Amino acid sequence: MTDISTPRPRAALFVTCMVDTLYPGVGMAAAQLLQRHGADVVFPDRQTCCGQPAFNAGYRNDARAVARHLIDVFWPLVDGGDVDAVVAPSGSCVAMVKRHYPILFEAAHDIEYQRRAVQLGEVTYELTQYLVDYLGVADAGARCPGRLAYHPCCHLLRELHIDAQPRRLLSSLKDAEIAELPNADECCGFGGLFALKNADISTAMGRRKVRNVNHSGADMVVLNDVSCMTHLNGILRREGHSCRAVHIAEVLNGTVEHATAERDSPDDR
Amino acid sequence: MIYDSIEARDEIFARLRRACSGSRSVFREALAHLKPPDPPTPVTHADGDRRSLAARFGAKLEAASGSYEILEDAAEASQRVVQLAREWGAAERATESAAETIEILSWASRALPIENLGELLKQAGTSLIVPDDMHDERTRARAARVNLGLTGADAAFASTGSIVLASGRGKSRAASLLPARHLVLVPMSRIHTTFEAWLRSLRAKQALGSFLRVSGQVVFITGPSKSADIELYLTLGVHGPKSVHALIFDDIW
Amino acid sequence: MTVDVGAAYPTRVRQALADDALRAALDRATEHLRGRRAQALAGVDATRLRDEAHAVRRYAIEHLPDLLEQLEGNLIANGCQVHWARDAAEALGVVLEIAHQNHVKDVVKSKSMVTEEIGLNDALQRSGIDVVETDLGEFIIQLAGEPPSHIITPVIHKRLEDISEIFQTKLDTPPTDQPAELCDTARRALRSEFLIADMGISGCNFAIAETGTICIVTNEGNGRMVTSLPRVYVAIAGIEKVVRSVEDAVLLWQAASRNATGQDVSVYFSMSSGPRRRGDSDGPDEMHVILIDNGRSRILERRYGDATLCIRCGACINICPVYREIGGHAYGRTPYSGPIGAVITPLLEYDIRPARDLPFASSLCGACRDVCPVKIDLPRLLLDLRSDIVERRAAPIAERVGMRVYSTALRRPAPYRALARLARRLGRLAALLPPLKRWARTREPPRFAAKSFATLWRERGRRPGEGAAE
Ligand code: SF4
Repeated sequence: MTDISTPRPRAALFVTCMVDTLYPGVGMAAAQLLQRHGADVVFPDRQTCCGQPAFNAGYRNDARAVARHLIDVFWPLVDGGDVDAVVAPSGSCVAMVKRHYPILFEAAHDIEYQRRAVQLGEVTYELTQYLVDYLGVADAGARCPGRLAYHPCCHLLRELHIDAQPRRLLSSLKDAEIAELPNADECCGFGGLFALKNADISTAMGRRKVRNVNHSGADMVVLNDVSCMTHLNGILRREGHSCRAVHIAEVLNGTVEHATAERDSPDDR
Repeated sequence: MIYDSIEARDEIFARLRRACSGSRSVFREALAHLKPPDPPTPVTHADGDRRSLAARFGAKLEAASGSYEILEDAAEASQRVVQLAREWGAAERATESAAETIEILSWASRALPIENLGELLKQAGTSLIVPDDMHDERTRARAARVNLGLTGADAAFASTGSIVLASGRGKSRAASLLPARHLVLVPMSRIHTTFEAWLRSLRAKQALGSFLRVSGQVVFITGPSKSADIELYLTLGVHGPKSVHALIFDDIW
Repeated sequence: MTVDVGAAYPTRVRQALADDALRAALDRATEHLRGRRAQALAGVDATRLRDEAHAVRRYAIEHLPDLLEQLEGNLIANGCQVHWARDAAEALGVVLEIAHQNHVKDVVKSKSMVTEEIGLNDALQRSGIDVVETDLGEFIIQLAGEPPSHIITPVIHKRLEDISEIFQTKLDTPPTDQPAELCDTARRALRSEFLIADMGISGCNFAIAETGTICIVTNEGNGRMVTSLPRVYVAIAGIEKVVRSVEDAVLLWQAASRNATGQDVSVYFSMSSGPRRRGDSDGPDEMHVILIDNGRSRILERRYGDATLCIRCGACINICPVYREIGGHAYGRTPYSGPIGAVITPLLEYDIRPARDLPFASSLCGACRDVCPVKIDLPRLLLDLRSDIVERRAAPIAERVGMRVYSTALRRPAPYRALARLARRLGRLAALLPPLKRWARTREPPRFAAKSFATLWRERGRRPGEGAAE
């Protein structure tokens, strides 16, 4: 815990559009983790999406419109000193802000937004990165009975070079057994629009990942992005496997059983 | 010029000059001026006295599916050449209907690193074929029959097991290319540590450009011809020699 | 079932995915090559090798016009004849003219992607000239009547038994499961071709400006045959192949060898600086070098210069999880597949449309960027190409409309919330919409949460921070 005399760090939570609409439990877990480990959480509720779906698909004008909105929501908080950091439970969306926003605004010669994007990118963190590198968390302080395999999501691993942080937090879990995932750093096949445009290739890649997960003997595959999680769960469920993909925030927060049970309950709507 | 490509040339250059000297970089990320290494850092390493360099050269050649022997001096090497020619020749006669005398497709005697080796081989009853014009049909047909090739080496490299052959008068390319076996004579004085060290020494003597340009072709060879095209199985001798055997000998006294 | 390279993209992909033998072969081969590469790089300072290889390639492209002028001057001084070609047709014209002047009937070729790019074999055969591919892999697929499916191992998609069958039908050999036997058959068949050929054609791995030298990297020795036995030798080089110095070429040769096949160096590195010299017993009497643009200057004009750094090692292809599923033929009628193929195939074309699906055939996982020995940021180039394609309005209309709806709604909170509410109400019906249907065919769709995070957060009433009100 942080010393009383120094102010607690304040993090603006960017939950991402998928967590907001599909997996609010992941957002809650992220918020609770941040609070429990010493940060105050601000949730700017005008937030929407980072713009990545459009950017990845080549629609830069559309992506810019959405990205500008994100900057309008978060940058003033950073610039005004209201928060020290922006934190998102997603490697992919953070990579969008840090790595792709500069490209997006450079291409449009939008100097002002490019400047803001760079400033924002400097203080934007992926959740586990923030926990370990900023808050200095070494022990998640949670319990997770079961056999876990960790799948490093591509953008987390290769755009942000974050790997040690989530692995370290997972290894601190009590009662958890960490299984070795064969070919862990191979893509799961999600890839944004790729999952729709090239649905068959995407599925073939996902099935390969599922084979490796099964091979590891894990009953949960943990990852840092709900997009890849959705894709893998889609295959795991369709093909009748008992293993589930779960987001690392829920695992580290100790709220995972609740999350998978809720998700797998029969659709009552 | 048999085809008027001046117009094409001019247009290509005009476009390239416009693109490469414009204010915008031709690359996605305009890096701060990136200086290329000059010269590049050696990729591989080797050191030691000439004996250990010779051993290293042999070991690396072997790792590349070649083979080698280290011999005391030129005299011993000469005897070994004769012996091998006889052995291989005999083996072939047993299996194929080869010529009566043992034939060797060879560099000219004066281009080989051992004086009088040619004489010695002739006395031993082998016939040295030194092609003078491979475009002559009879020469070509004759050369194509031979199963053993004999050459020297302009340089050799301990860190990779490679040799360099520069084509030239009396140094036919065919000798190291057409026969199924390539026997190469490597004097220890020709063994360098790395490509880069050798290039540096040639460059220092201002001899690098002329070394390349005087020859029609300079070739680096590292082991026998290979292919992994069939399901990645390693097969030897697809086109070039199936075996490369180096006779390394000490020539420094 | 094989992949028909002339079919439409979705068909090619479907055919590839349905071919289990193909995918088993690709798995095995790419894994093997990845392992060999890793081993070869473990023994050297791989980071420095990459940095330096990138720097020397980048220098060459930045100084392309000057280096090309220097190269041309030195080639001519060395006794070569230099020809320039703006496009495939001009290059083919030059080759045919050289062939006719020399009454050429038989051509032997060593493996070269640029000759595949310009369709050289077809052109020669149409003019009644026999042309034989002499690289073992290329020879096999020429017999099979297929294009190569990998820039380094062109027959990566075939198993031993497939190859034995091709030899049985085309060369009348008995069936065998011994690769060495197949290799011997090819050696015999091709040796006689080498001895009668009157013209050799090769590509070019590096063209050294300071000495006027054409370098070829091979393992089999066919590169040496082609450049040494026939009377006429023609090298066809993309204009981006030029490098500054001998040292640079030797560096890139080592980088290419380690990354392509996991060797310290390839078996042969042939450096030809002209026709045979006076007194030489072998070597060509005429050496021609055709420097071909064919879209390369356009790549530079469009600021895709990074793509011209490529030394064609194939490492990005071997690591690519998409290539592993679909193989090279799914990329269509192009010799370039995998990530680098998805980048340069559309770029080399004047019209991006025919290859517009390729930049999208990637999950942007970034594995290719990490292995590329000259540090090409392939995912970045794919992203930029996607943007170009969309800007040219070459993307499907439904997608364009969808993206407009997305950006109109998500650039403000209120319509975003409204859209989310609508989706929640649609629930599983949403999976019936065409794009989502493609998802749901093989994967369970996710379910919208009863309440959004924003709602839960508000209801929870615990807001340590003062989030702005909607
Ligand atoms: S893009 Fe890079 S990795 Fe791919 S073939 Fe070219 S040099 Fe090799």
